[in-house]
Amino acid sequence: MWHKGTPGTPVKPLALQSLDHSQLYQRRVQNLLDEQNHDIEESDKFSPTTGDYEDLSEHSWTDDRNSVSSAVWSSSQPLSSSLSSNNSPPLLPARTSTMAKQSSQLTREDARSDVHLIGNRITGNMSLGNMFCSRCGDGFEPHEKIVNSNGELWHTQCFVCAQCFRPFPDGTFYEFEGRKYCEHDFHVLFAPCCGKCGEFVIGRVIKAMNANWHPRCFRCEVCSKELADLGFIRNQGRALCHECNAQAKAVGLGKYICHKCHGVIDDKPLRFRGEVYHPYHFNCASCKIELNSDAREVKSRPGFTSNEMNELYCLRCHDKMGIPICGACRRPIEERVVTALGKHWHVEHFVCAKCEKPFLGHRHYEKKGLAYCETHYHQLFGNLCFVCNQVIAGDVFTALNKAWCVHHFACSVCDQKMNQKTKFYECDLKPVCKKCYDKYPAELRRRLRKTHEATPKKASV
Amino acid sequence: MNQAPVSCIPNSKMSKAKKVLDEARSTGNPELDLMEKGISSFEEMPGLLNMANITRLTLSHNKIVDVPPGLANLVNLEILTLFNNYIEELPVSLSSMPKLRILNLGMNRLNALPRGFGAFPVLEVLDLTYNNLNEESFPANFFILETLRALYLGDNDFEFIPPEIGQLKNLQILVLRDNDLIELPKEIGDLTRLRELHIQGNRLTVLPPEIGQLDLVGNKSVLKMDYNPWVAPIADQLQVGISHVIDYIRSETYRYLFSRHVSVRGPPPPKYIDKTNKLSRNRRNL
Ligand SMILES: [Zn+2]
Ligand SMILES: [Zn+2]
Ligand SMILES: [Zn+2]
Ligand SMILES: [Zn+2]
Ligand SMILES: [Zn+2]
Ligand SMILES: [Zn+2]
Ligand SMILES: [Zn+2]
Ligand SMILES: [Zn+2]
Repeated sequence: MWHKGTPGTPVKPLALQSLDHSQLYQRRVQNLLDEQNHDIEESDKFSPTTGDYEDLSEHSWTDDRNSVSSAVWSSSQPLSSSLSSNNSPPLLPARTSTMAKQSSQLTREDARSDVHLIGNRITGNMSLGNMFCSRCGDGFEPHEKIVNSNGELWHTQCFVCAQCFRPFPDGTFYEFEGRKYCEHDFHVLFAPCCGKCGEFVIGRVIKAMNANWHPRCFRCEVCSKELADLGFIRNQGRALCHECNAQAKAVGLGKYICHKCHGVIDDKPLRFRGEVYHPYHFNCASCKIELNSDAREVKSRPGFTSNEMNELYCLRCHDKMGIPICGACRRPIEERVVTALGKHWHVEHFVCAKCEKPFLGHRHYEKKGLAYCETHYHQLFGNLCFVCNQVIAGDVFTALNKAWCVHHFACSVCDQKMNQKTKFYECDLKPVCKKCYDKYPAELRRRLRKTHEATPKKASV
Repeated sequence: MNQAPVSCIPNSKMSKAKKVLDEARSTGNPELDLMEKGISSFEEMPGLLNMANITRLTLSHNKIVDVPPGLANLVNLEILTLFNNYIEELPVSLSSMPKLRILNLGMNRLNALPRGFGAFPVLEVLDLTYNNLNEESFPANFFILETLRALYLGDNDFEFIPPEIGQLKNLQILVLRDNDLIELPKEIGDLTRLRELHIQGNRLTVLPPEIGQLDLVGNKSVLKMDYNPWVAPIADQLQVGISHVIDYIRSETYRYLFSRHVSVRGPPPPKYIDKTNKLSRNRRNL
């Protein structure tokens, strides 16, 4: 009898049988279904396109005398797609070895495994008279070396590769659909190629992203971490580890990634020395309290452009330090401070409330708590003299939708100065003194009168 | 021409203007007031064109016919007022005056402006009220006057305004009162700083909807548009107030009406004002 498995290990009778591949397929299918249930549970935390692929050797076992490394391809991919895929390599080749050379593996076992046993001795109650070579059908000479593989017997010269008809190097062969192949031909004919390095994949095959991979070749496309045991997420045609996928997603949503822990920053980030962080990684340089996003970065060496010396303070400690805060951006002002409207400003942040151009030392005009450039102060408040086009510093004459400085309030026809007591006429919303108006041709005065413009007016001051 | 020889200038006249000039020269006053001095020629003001320091020259209510090219020698002149004279023509040199900001040529007899008139480097206020100007009178470069903030063209003979008016980006005041305007160019809507628009007393029936883009209804704004043969919907809104007109021309309804009105345009309304008695029509030797 063949002895299978180590003592005390349950052995399935089926395993004794052979290389019946239809059965193997059947059982592998069963395994697949089992695996699938297990893996789908696990893959719930992944995106639906996730696939996890398991080691082929995981479920192999060897018997105590004849080394067996059987290969198991299992997949959490939907079964139908695995089986219907024409150009994928055969799913279930059995790898078998003639001689026991791998004694270290002899203790491995797995009740679900498929077993192929090969011996070079006849044991039990077999006799030469009823033994025939499985290939040529002839009998065996006494003392002739007989190859026994799973109950089938061969002349040594008949136990050869189905492709090249040469004996199996090291006695190792691969069996597929009832035929045995040397390692070389099996690879050429059936073994999957790695999607990265192009080499055959022996042993554990990772099936993912519509290709096969060596475990060492299937890596996160961002950080190059091996993904075989970690699982992966398909992200825009790339296989990414969970961390890199989370980051890619966060960046897509406009979120920051903490420079320290590489985690997504869901709340407000803290900027420090040019990077963004979770505020809670830092403590106030003064009171040591854990920081929140209100913390302030302070240049400890004012004027230096390098930020390596910058330190972080909580808002309370920062305010106690007396550094002026810009009224516009709410950030500390380390360089030139402009003080206006009862606040401090960065030079470049003290701007016209209308056009938002910085004054940069030019005159500004204040009105109702806001500052304006000359042009816009006039545009909005109309206190530019109609004649000199300058902002009126002192008394303002206003009339006819216009304003004049004291020097320039005059008749628009004769340029003679007028004051708030002078009566004037209006023509096209310009002031005309009585003397000039009286010189207007009668027909024009008639028309102006008709349009109610010819009533004497006075300027208001 | 009846330009009098220098020797013929009456002494009394000469002394009036000369007195002002002498006084200005002695005090260094840069502002010259020479209005209503009966002056008919610059020759009655000897030495004036050498007074390069003067910043204002007021010659209103005189009888000046010719403006000499030498006036441009007054390189510091900022304000030049020639209101109510007999000027028919201007020298080309005028537009080269480097500091001239305010030029008042109102109530003269101008039929055209000289070529290159748009070249004033800093002109801000140009008053051409009450002349005989029309759309043909503008020289080609007129609308490059980018510094212009007020343009007074009331009491002239314009039937159209060139679309190039839209280039006067700094224009805040545009007066077209009492012309013969049949329509306004939509480019007036490009004058984003315009705060005063006077179009009363013309032959306008519709407004380009683009005028709705302008801020003409704020408390710092003026739109005068009476005395035009407006289409009924505009006339109705005008009865209620200017802001209603603006609201209306901003509406889709009006856009539709305007496009239909433009496509089936009939003959223009008749001229509104009888200008035969206009002073500017008088020939100086009539
Ligand atoms: Zn590989
Ligand atoms: Zn990664
Ligand atoms: Zn972090
Ligand atoms: Zn602190
Ligand atoms: Zn600031
Ligand atoms: Zn501004
Ligand atoms: Zn002024
Ligand atoms: Zn006057």
